Amino acid sequence: MRQMMSKIKQHIKTFSQTPFSSAVRQKWLLMWHHNPPGKVLFLIGIAIAFIMAIPLFYVIQRSATAGVDRWMRLLDERIPSLLWNTFSLAFMVTLFAVVIGVSLAWFVNRTNLPGAKYWRWLLALPLVIPPYVGAMTYIIVFGPSSWLRGFFEQSTFLGDYPINIYSFWGVFFTLTMFTYPYVYLIASASLRKMNRNFEEVARSQGLTTSQIFWRVNLPFLRPSIGAGAILVSLYVLSDFGAISMLRYVTFTAAIYYQRAGFDTESASVLSLVLIIATVLILWVEARTKSKSNYYQTSNQFREPEQLSLGRWKWFVTGFVWFIFFVSVILPIGVLIYWSYIGIQHGALDHRFFEFAFNSFRLSSFAAIISMALALPLVYLKARHPSIITGVIDRISYVGYALPGVIIALGFVFVFNNHLPILYNTFYVVAIAFVVRFLPQALQSAEASLNLVSPRVDEAARSLGYPPWKIMYKVIFPTIRPGILAGGALVFVSAIKELPATLMLRPPGFDTLAIRVHYEASEALYHQAAPPALIIVLISLIPLRYLLKKY
Amino acid sequence: MKLNKLIVLVGMISTLMLIAGCGADEQDEIVIYSARNEQFVQDLLDQFEEDTDIEVTALHGAEPLQIMEERENVQADVYISNDLGALGYLDQEGLLQGHDFEGIDSIPSDFRASDNAYFAISARARGFIYNEDLIDREDMPTSAEDLFDPEWADVENGYAITRGGNGGMIGHVSALRYEWGDERTAEWIDSIQTNAAGIFEGHGDIRRAVGEGQHAFGLVNNYYFHQQLLEPDNNDVGFIYLDQDEDDMGAVANAAGAGLVNGGPNPENGIAFMEWLLEPENQVQFVGESLELLINAEYGASYPEEVEPHIVPFDELHVQDMPITELGNYFEDTRALIEDSGLDLELR
Repeated sequence: MRQMMSKIKQHIKTFSQTPFSSAVRQKWLLMWHHNPPGKVLFLIGIAIAFIMAIPLFYVIQRSATAGVDRWMRLLDERIPSLLWNTFSLAFMVTLFAVVIGVSLAWFVNRTNLPGAKYWRWLLALPLVIPPYVGAMTYIIVFGPSSWLRGFFEQSTFLGDYPINIYSFWGVFFTLTMFTYPYVYLIASASLRKMNRNFEEVARSQGLTTSQIFWRVNLPFLRPSIGAGAILVSLYVLSDFGAISMLRYVTFTAAIYYQRAGFDTESASVLSLVLIIATVLILWVEARTKSKSNYYQTSNQFREPEQLSLGRWKWFVTGFVWFIFFVSVILPIGVLIYWSYIGIQHGALDHRFFEFAFNSFRLSSFAAIISMALALPLVYLKARHPSIITGVIDRISYVGYALPGVIIALGFVFVFNNHLPILYNTFYVVAIAFVVRFLPQALQSAEASLNLVSPRVDEAARSLGYPPWKIMYKVIFPTIRPGILAGGALVFVSAIKELPATLMLRPPGFDTLAIRVHYEASEALYHQAAPPALIIVLISLIPLRYLLKKY
Repeated sequence: MKLNKLIVLVGMISTLMLIAGCGADEQDEIVIYSARNEQFVQDLLDQFEEDTDIEVTALHGAEPLQIMEERENVQADVYISNDLGALGYLDQEGLLQGHDFEGIDSIPSDFRASDNAYFAISARARGFIYNEDLIDREDMPTSAEDLFDPEWADVENGYAITRGGNGGMIGHVSALRYEWGDERTAEWIDSIQTNAAGIFEGHGDIRRAVGEGQHAFGLVNNYYFHQQLLEPDNNDVGFIYLDQDEDDMGAVANAAGAGLVNGGPNPENGIAFMEWLLEPENQVQFVGESLELLINAEYGASYPEEVEPHIVPFDELHVQDMPITELGNYFEDTRALIEDSGLDLELR
């Protein structure tokens, strides 16, 4: 009797529960393509995505509750002019960075430019100069109290000094000079991969060299131009340092100034507009990309042919030298000159080393955390693809597109309201850096992981390792170089970072970047140059990796 | 591979340093927020550190509103400001704390709160710095009222003002409200906003721009004129104190000083700093490189030889009759008035 009762109970239990829970389980498995991740790994992924999304969420929430009046006033007075300022600048810089980047890539890779072997990496060097450092050197050279201006004033025949560096054109010129390498590197990579056969067919049909460029080469370059243009325009939208030094105001600068004046509501309203604009740009790029497909045939690949420049040779050489002079020799020369003066005046005092130590501590902390977080994220994405990992992955890339000021603004809200203990500690800055720069660690780790066969995991799993253990014991040692390279990239980006540090740093915590910004704003160039030079030197570290990547 | 090893090494060293850095919090310390330019304050703070062995953690360029925002989670012990209005405002909000400081009697009562929660050390007056190559002294405006006239927009290279949120600008507008009332002040803001050729982040930018000839003149505090005189070049500048005729309102003045923050993390060191600051030689040091005017002129602030002949002692100026401590009553509304009159608080 008792046995029967329990049997019936059992029966009821299975009857009432199984269909539902098994349906959920089925769905769950289906979503993961019958390959769900371990619990630990999954929870880590969710937790990281949550942290990444916090600033975005808070900024949107704050802007939604900013009140109709504030919205109306900003829409009426600020937003139209900011939109114009920001997008006219982004458009012009992107356009010229593309023209300069593509033409340089073309000359270096496809023509008999003298010394092309060296130009190949020399022309990528502006990447190691943060634009705010570049802006400072341009102010020194072209600004209103520059030697160049004195020369103009003294000479009788030259007339008035024509350059106003504190203008749209000053900002445009500065940003173009330090962002064209993004386009240059990506375009160079595709040019090197371009198959000679297509050009020969075109030539056999009677097309001239310039016609081949416009009708054969350029279409092949479109994807890489798009990718480079996105990097440049996102950079222009996010830049604070160079833009504020040159006294221009874009959305990013306006958000910073509003926050500095403690009008956080207005700052978040402007942030929301900027977020929407960023999403629009990404959307437009994604659309144009998916509409047009260009294929390179991989079989019968032949090295592209080197074109002779002919009578254009000296003109082209002059152009390449000009760009290199303005974007590398001039700024570095100015930095070395002023560093020399600064060191003679005792710029390398104990405070300087304190600032360097702060920079170093902050950046390595951010790099270590980013490396630690990158591993589970890329592992989840590569080994357990599903909608959920897709979402986690997207969210982790938030910092890639969003300006540092917006991330910092979100963190201001979070730490003021919910985590007062951490408020005003250096950890807040470090976590903001992780959110901002994690995508760099992810990209690098992902590239390495894609080379490791899933069979390795299967073998480890068949020997009884749980997934998280496979990740740390088997996968990590294999892809360590990729992870470390990602860490190096994060480190360098963190050394250069300005706006988030300015907004979140605790009292007394100045970094090298902050010093450059402050001393330059006071026109104390001999004090600003040594830390700027150190930032440039540190930025050289991952250049080799960057050059290899493209 | 070499690179990778280097990175691992760097990572390990930095982790060690991180751990080492965490243990050093035991020392006697004080957190000082300062709205003044770092150049003017750092030496003073270094001197305090040396005299007392109290470690100073400083945040330079701090807005008074940061003290407001942190009221539930107070971070600072002392707030140094170059706008007595800001200090007065914080005091009214209950964010500063009175104390019977030793040596407070050296500060005239016009220059301190009734409960001594804040006091001023140095004073400045508003006026025009002008470029002698671009404009003659006789052609310059001499009164704040002159700026109602659009003719000043037509001067070669025009004139410069700061953004509306600048502490000096807020103090100036507060003083005009006291003198003229809100309506006329709003008109004045509208005029300068329309007619100025350049709007800058701070006064340092203006003095350099005027020195360089980018603008003919600019509305600044007098000590920025003193600073420009020290520049190796671009120093052909003069200065006009505003409204000096007998029946004029007198120059708008403001003062720089310090306040004791209510409920700061190191209250005893906060008091120690305030009392240290009141010692005569430290009052002199407070003026330091700012080249402001020491309120207690008899303590003898020394100025470089380029500047000395141009110093006009504070008691020889015809200064507006508003007590500077009044400024706090105007602080909050003034920001709103400036913004509503069309001058943005921040650069745009």
